[in-house]
Amino acid sequence: MAASIPDDIFFASITEINQKLKAKEFSAVELAKAFCGRLEQLGPRYNALALSLRDKAVKAAKDVDGDLKRERYRGPLQGIPFGAKDLLAYAKHPTTWGAKPYAGQVFDYDATVLKKLIKGGGILAGKLAMVELAGGPSYRYASASLTGPGLNPWDPTRWSGGSSSGSGIAVAAGLVTYALGSETSGSILTPAAFCGVTGLRPTYGLVSRHGAMALSWTLDKIGPLCRSAEDCGLVLHEIAGADGEDPASAGKSFYYAPQFARDLKEVKVGFAPIDFAEWADPAGRPDFAKAIETVRSLGVQLVETKLPEFPYGPVIGTIISSEASSIFEPLIQSGNVDQLADQKQIAGLKAGLEITAKDYLKAMRIRSLMQEGMRTLFDDIDVLLAPSRLAPAPKITQPLDRPSSDRPTPKERGLTALIPAGNLAGLPALSLPCGFADGMPIAIQLVGRPFSENLLLTLGKFFQEKTDWHKRRPGASEPRA
Amino acid sequence: MSQERETRNEKRETKLTRRELALAVSTSAVLLAQAPAPLPSNPDEELKAVKDAIQQTSQQLAKFDLPMSTEPAVHFRA
Repeated sequence: MAASIPDDIFFASITEINQKLKAKEFSAVELAKAFCGRLEQLGPRYNALALSLRDKAVKAAKDVDGDLKRERYRGPLQGIPFGAKDLLAYAKHPTTWGAKPYAGQVFDYDATVLKKLIKGGGILAGKLAMVELAGGPSYRYASASLTGPGLNPWDPTRWSGGSSSGSGIAVAAGLVTYALGSETSGSILTPAAFCGVTGLRPTYGLVSRHGAMALSWTLDKIGPLCRSAEDCGLVLHEIAGADGEDPASAGKSFYYAPQFARDLKEVKVGFAPIDFAEWADPAGRPDFAKAIETVRSLGVQLVETKLPEFPYGPVIGTIISSEASSIFEPLIQSGNVDQLADQKQIAGLKAGLEITAKDYLKAMRIRSLMQEGMRTLFDDIDVLLAPSRLAPAPKITQPLDRPSSDRPTPKERGLTALIPAGNLAGLPALSLPCGFADGMPIAIQLVGRPFSENLLLTLGKFFQEKTDWHKRRPGASEPRA
Repeated sequence: MSQERETRNEKRETKLTRRELALAVSTSAVLLAQAPAPLPSNPDEELKAVKDAIQQTSQQLAKFDLPMSTEPAVHFRA
């Protein structure tokens, strides 16, 4: 580690680091070298690192130092080291998609989001590990990755969550200040929740996916995992916007503006008490209960609600499987699909080719009704509140498609299907650390109307002004060699 | 472009009344918790298990009645 960089900087916010860079407490080169050293040293121990980009990072940091010397300020992300999930193309460097068949893949262009961050003076320190093919249609084990199971910095015998595994780990362990991940159905919210960091899933179409691996054209989103809601706002501000290279681009920009937030007394937050009292892991219920009270103390109106009744699981499963198997048809037909690490994912990709047009269209037609149902729900409610995940991170050997508890299933579903429902409707979501269960982080999610990121981020900012869960760091436990 | 999209959404929304939506929603079955099957022990069993699951999913989708006017959640633009 560079001696001039205090340890606290590895866990500092974007704004804090940016101020120190401007105050010349350390240079961007010193900062980049320190973060790259930490990423190279600890990243592999957590199976979080796909590729170190030290040389490029230091070169970019030299340019930032030159800019700062001339007082050319490019924004809050200038000089801040970050990581990117290895499904984002970075020209002339391997982009593996976390999968053995693509281990040697190299693109000759940068993903739009990387171009934007680098243009703003961001320092790309490394590509971060991920579940192979972002999880494909489904996978059974945490080991479904070219780099092995993502080990949780809070307890390396437990999983980091996926598919943006390395992104969650790297932020939690202070290997980068923020990271980019992607979500098709839960791949930002899950690692954010399991690793105790703040994660933002933007509205579908707000952030360009050009240069990102496609898993599902109608569901994929790119978003940040950060130390705080405020940091998520700063990153989204930079990466959002229209892009003619992404056919799903909504053509909208995003300006992070918490100063223009609505009076929270006018904001109605819907939640289902059964989610927190009966569905949630018993060890997490005390902190979940406190989180509800903290949200209430912000002055919002808390009202009970539930999701409209739809077969969310079958619908999202059919859509992801159909689209993923179509996208990866060449991989499947070539036989190289058998090189993947997870047998369930291999089988899922093969079988997905046999899903009928009838079923895909049925799922997409039900999805239309779901969107209408969610719009109706949001006629009376501004934000939905639920646990991000009902239980903390499982052991890395636990089959992910098997229940880890034999507790009886509650009678009402509440908002437990909010991850598939929110993704199917393209809604934004923010995951906020809210406590611990069995020593592992737990989190709440806030979900809003399309393009309501500023409201979610404002609520998140106020929540984090009243709590310090997002400032907690993993203990001294180190992964076994 | 976004304004055009919003207009399209408004048009689509008008095709479905609240009554139709309520009817469609009321026909969806709550998924019942089922005891998990044993883990497949080889690739052939795995493939069969996934195909069986796809078949079950297909049956669940088939049970969901849809108004004839409901279009899929995709937008073709000329």
